[in-house]
Amino acid sequence: MLDMTHRLIARMGGFTAVAVLLAAQALAPAASGQGRGAYAPAKGWDGHADLTGIWEAFGAPGDSIEARNAAWGIRATLGSVTDPPGGLLPYKPEAIAKRNANFKNRAQLDSANKCYMPGVPRLMYMGYPFQIFQSSKFVIVASEYMHTYRTIYLDNTKHLPDVDFYDGDSRGRWEGDTLVVDVTNFNDQTWFDKAGNYHSDALHVVERFSRTSADAMTYTATIEDPKVFTRAFTITVPMFRHTEPNARLLEYECQSYREDEASGNPR
Amino acid sequence: MRMRNGIFVAAVALGVGIAFLLPTSGNGQDAAPKGDAPKGKGGGKGGFGKGGPAVLAGPMPRLPDGHPDMQGYWNGPAVTDVQAPGRGGAPGTIVDPPDGKIPFQPAEAARIKETREHDAVDEPTLHCFETGVPKNMWIQFGFQILQDPTHFIVLHEIMHQVRIINLDNRPHIPANIHLFQGDSIGHWDGDTLIVETSNHGDKNWYDDTGTAKPQTVHVVERFIPVDANTITLESTMTDPTAYTQPWTTRVTLRRANAKMPDGSRDYEQMEFGCVEGNADLDHYTEDKGGKKKVVRVPQAKQ
Repeated sequence: MLDMTHRLIARMGGFTAVAVLLAAQALAPAASGQGRGAYAPAKGWDGHADLTGIWEAFGAPGDSIEARNAAWGIRATLGSVTDPPGGLLPYKPEAIAKRNANFKNRAQLDSANKCYMPGVPRLMYMGYPFQIFQSSKFVIVASEYMHTYRTIYLDNTKHLPDVDFYDGDSRGRWEGDTLVVDVTNFNDQTWFDKAGNYHSDALHVVERFSRTSADAMTYTATIEDPKVFTRAFTITVPMFRHTEPNARLLEYECQSYREDEASGNPR
Repeated sequence: MRMRNGIFVAAVALGVGIAFLLPTSGNGQDAAPKGDAPKGKGGGKGGFGKGGPAVLAGPMPRLPDGHPDMQGYWNGPAVTDVQAPGRGGAPGTIVDPPDGKIPFQPAEAARIKETREHDAVDEPTLHCFETGVPKNMWIQFGFQILQDPTHFIVLHEIMHQVRIINLDNRPHIPANIHLFQGDSIGHWDGDTLIVETSNHGDKNWYDDTGTAKPQTVHVVERFIPVDANTITLESTMTDPTAYTQPWTTRVTLRRANAKMPDGSRDYEQMEFGCVEGNADLDHYTEDKGGKKKVVRVPQAKQ
């Protein structure tokens, strides 16, 4: 855990000490899970840990979840992979070529450049704020990106049969103060990041949302995809809450702006 | 509708079909009684089951804080032309002024005439844009309402769009900020939810047939609970630069009571793809859509 925090601090360079401390605070319980010292969050009106508010991921997972050097439009990063150690994704040997081709042709191939739904977990850290709402039956995640929202069902229902989605099918449960979400039913049209890291339609994601301080939480996603990876891996991303008094979820209406650009009248 | 892709087909097959073609029982979200609910016939274009007896009965349920609990799945009417008269002499969507027509200022009347006659290609859903306020509530496809003490949230199946109404008396965002969904701030007046929306964008229409919405309009909506399964929604549009007087629409929102066909779960909205494989604009060429050229976005298709 300390290792991860140090990496983050090293990467942030010029950021303020306050941000570093907040990041450390956010990441600290990730290693301990729900063990000793876990932050005890306030309860929401549904009686569960309060995850509501407008949140945003910190760091560069939207650029690349895997440790890599900088490139055009992509920040250098030590990666978000916390398991296995080393920061690299456990690709099958034959899958790396496709990732490399994706990277090379990312301007054309990245479906986020075509304003498509970005998939899960990418929606959670692609660089746009999202707002969480809670009730006893649902958790809603509404993103500023392309007005995309996720409905996480808490009613113990099974995944839908025989249908696939860009953003998958999300069924959640509370484990103490942690929201655990099982996501399946994906298609193979989305990536994990801008760098071409990808998955197949066999993707299975288990997300964990854990509050770590008044305005921070740790988000982890454990990802399996036997068609692409040799083993499961976990990414860990700190999230922070927007605390501006008039904070709003605004709009990034990707398709509209794309048309404005193509028309020669950007605005 | 217009979208042509697999996800849309899934939405139709699983969402609309299941919700509205099957006998109704149970309901989406509230703690409704299970079991042998009265059976009713579903069906109907984009909408609510005609004559489908609802499981809930009596008045609208209440939240712990005492306000009406409108949570669940709902359908409005599919209004294709906001100024069209009602069938059989019934009132149309516009109830004030009494003639059912929008009281345009002359310049706005000319703009709308131009739009209706020549700019069909600008129809917002062709472009996968959010439908905006107030049209949101009278489009094909249903929506889900979710409430907490400080928010009234509308989750639409169409365009997977979400509308967040803040209930905490905050000020509107700066006037130069324009959003497809506008900036909605609501408050309770007794059992009626009153929502004021400003900061609209300039790419939205009131309907599908060219009644463009000025971004300067101020919309006040009144969500009036009638009974557990019915909301009357009145929307008043005020904009002295476009209209000679305010005008008001009235539509009925009906609860969508349904279960998935195997009974395993309550109704769920499906993912609605639009940009993903959208081919709508291919149908609009200069001769079909009028004198405007279609803006082609490179690599828009898969």
